[in-house]
Amino acid sequence: MALRSISRRFGSRVLSYRSSSLASLHSHATSFGFQQVKEEEKSKLVGNVFTNVASSYDIMNDVMSGGLHRLWKERLVGKLSPFAGMKHLDVAGGTGDVAFRIFDAVNSVKRRALRKVDEDSLEETQIYVCDINPNMLNVGKQRAAERGLGDNKSLVWVEGDAEALSFDDNSMDGYTIAFGIRNVTHIEKALAEAYRVLKRGGRFLCLELSHVDIPVFKDVYDLYSFKVIPNLGELIAGDRESYQYLVESVRRFPPQEKFATMIADAGFEKVEYENLVGGVVAIHSAIKL
Amino acid sequence: MYRTAARRLLGAGFTTSRLLRLPKPRPTTTIIPYSYCTSSMESPIGNQSVNPNQSDPTAAREEGHRRDESRKPRAEFQEEQARVLAASLRHVPRLGWTEEAMIAGSREVGVSPSIVGSFSRKEAALVEYFMDECLQLLIDRVDSGLDLQNLIPSERVSKLVRIRLEMQIPYMSKWPQALSIQAHPVNVPTSFKQRAMLVDEIWHTVGDGASDLDWYVKRTVLGGVYSATEIYMLTDDSPEYRDTWAFLDDRVKDAFDLKKSIQEAKYFAQDIGAGVGKSFQGLMNGVMQTMSTRGGRSSAF
Repeated sequence: MALRSISRRFGSRVLSYRSSSLASLHSHATSFGFQQVKEEEKSKLVGNVFTNVASSYDIMNDVMSGGLHRLWKERLVGKLSPFAGMKHLDVAGGTGDVAFRIFDAVNSVKRRALRKVDEDSLEETQIYVCDINPNMLNVGKQRAAERGLGDNKSLVWVEGDAEALSFDDNSMDGYTIAFGIRNVTHIEKALAEAYRVLKRGGRFLCLELSHVDIPVFKDVYDLYSFKVIPNLGELIAGDRESYQYLVESVRRFPPQEKFATMIADAGFEKVEYENLVGGVVAIHSAIKL
Repeated sequence: MYRTAARRLLGAGFTTSRLLRLPKPRPTTTIIPYSYCTSSMESPIGNQSVNPNQSDPTAAREEGHRRDESRKPRAEFQEEQARVLAASLRHVPRLGWTEEAMIAGSREVGVSPSIVGSFSRKEAALVEYFMDECLQLLIDRVDSGLDLQNLIPSERVSKLVRIRLEMQIPYMSKWPQALSIQAHPVNVPTSFKQRAMLVDEIWHTVGDGASDLDWYVKRTVLGGVYSATEIYMLTDDSPEYRDTWAFLDDRVKDAFDLKKSIQEAKYFAQDIGAGVGKSFQGLMNGVMQTMSTRGGRSSAF
């Protein structure tokens, strides 16, 4: 189950971020079991974490990244180049940031050009937002209602697991996952699912916090992550633990090259990545052919 | 001879079909999975091929085998891109050099239109593909026995430029858009390179000994003639573009005359120089003589 690693972390405060040296694929799923927790309890713990976080998730994003996360998401959607009639799946996109941007991209500018398109592409755009946590989805639905999109047929909110999607094979033109894949227990499963649901020619895009290699900047970033962010979490969301988990999980996530290899192994072609802010964030993109 | 020079100057990517032009404005890295290393014909610029199974050789071979067998033979990305772009060209007269045309093209080929999002500099990719195709067609026409023997060089140049420009006739209504796309600063390096290759190819076909001028000057001049004719053609309404061909012939003649004129101007300048030199020398001699005859008598200077 996704997020199993969060519950493991509850038992182990001793986690050091240097442990990112363990580069093997399953390391962040199985290697740190200081406490054994029953599965039902795990899911409850996990559910609690994201339930607590859901309402202040967006504010915390803004504070932690200094508003930059908006630019990163813009860049992600820009790279996707949404088109009218697209079937898109945004995984772990609970509060809807990426989905709303895609919706806007398709409906505002391109609507005008829509008249130029062939009559047989009259299919409606469908943007599916999939998240494992219902509370996150609820926040997303609320935000949609605030924007006046509450009844819009284009946005579909689905509860589901990235490792076991409920969508048909070859049904999606695009798949995005923004800041979600490092929470998945078995990354390869999520990638395999992504490969399964995408059509031929479909694109996979992943926006994720990644590894910084630039000498001085790396130390600044580490300082910021481990000293500032947990304190911000405490101050604003009242939840130091989740944000401590967050920065540790970033260090344990595979570096850019490794992750790109994993994507290629899932069968994707033209695997590329682009570092933003010197590697703090990376956008990996690939195509299913 | 010029083809090899072109290859030297313009880089190893001078194979005429399926060139990969991906000038990457941001640093991105491409990974090719193990099972495609052996089958790829041309490796993209700046790729790294990764062998994920290096740690376990026997498992690797098995994995590789299983992978090849279990998955249907997949087209390389470049081939797929070429197919989509070729199909898109059919929609250009109606939809222009735009994403809509490429989306329509991808639908024809049976691929999700998302793939268009991955083409670098989208519309430019379509235009550049077209330019490459035209160059290839020109080379094919030339190779399959175009009769140039009975023509003087300037007529040969005219004929080749005409053949090349005629390929653009179906797209003439949207050609200004293509030109503006090519003029974008981001796209200029590639479009410049393509035009340079085109001009080089034409000179190569026309043959050596066409003139004595410098290699670069020849190409620049022909580049200018080609562009001028291309632009003239945009607003030409005459039946079968007769005016354009007349314009072309005149410009080519001017270019060839220009060479002769430059040569004549050089000789003229030399003659003048010689004449002036002689008269100056004569003057100086006269002055020296006068001074020496007088020098005996006057003292001051």
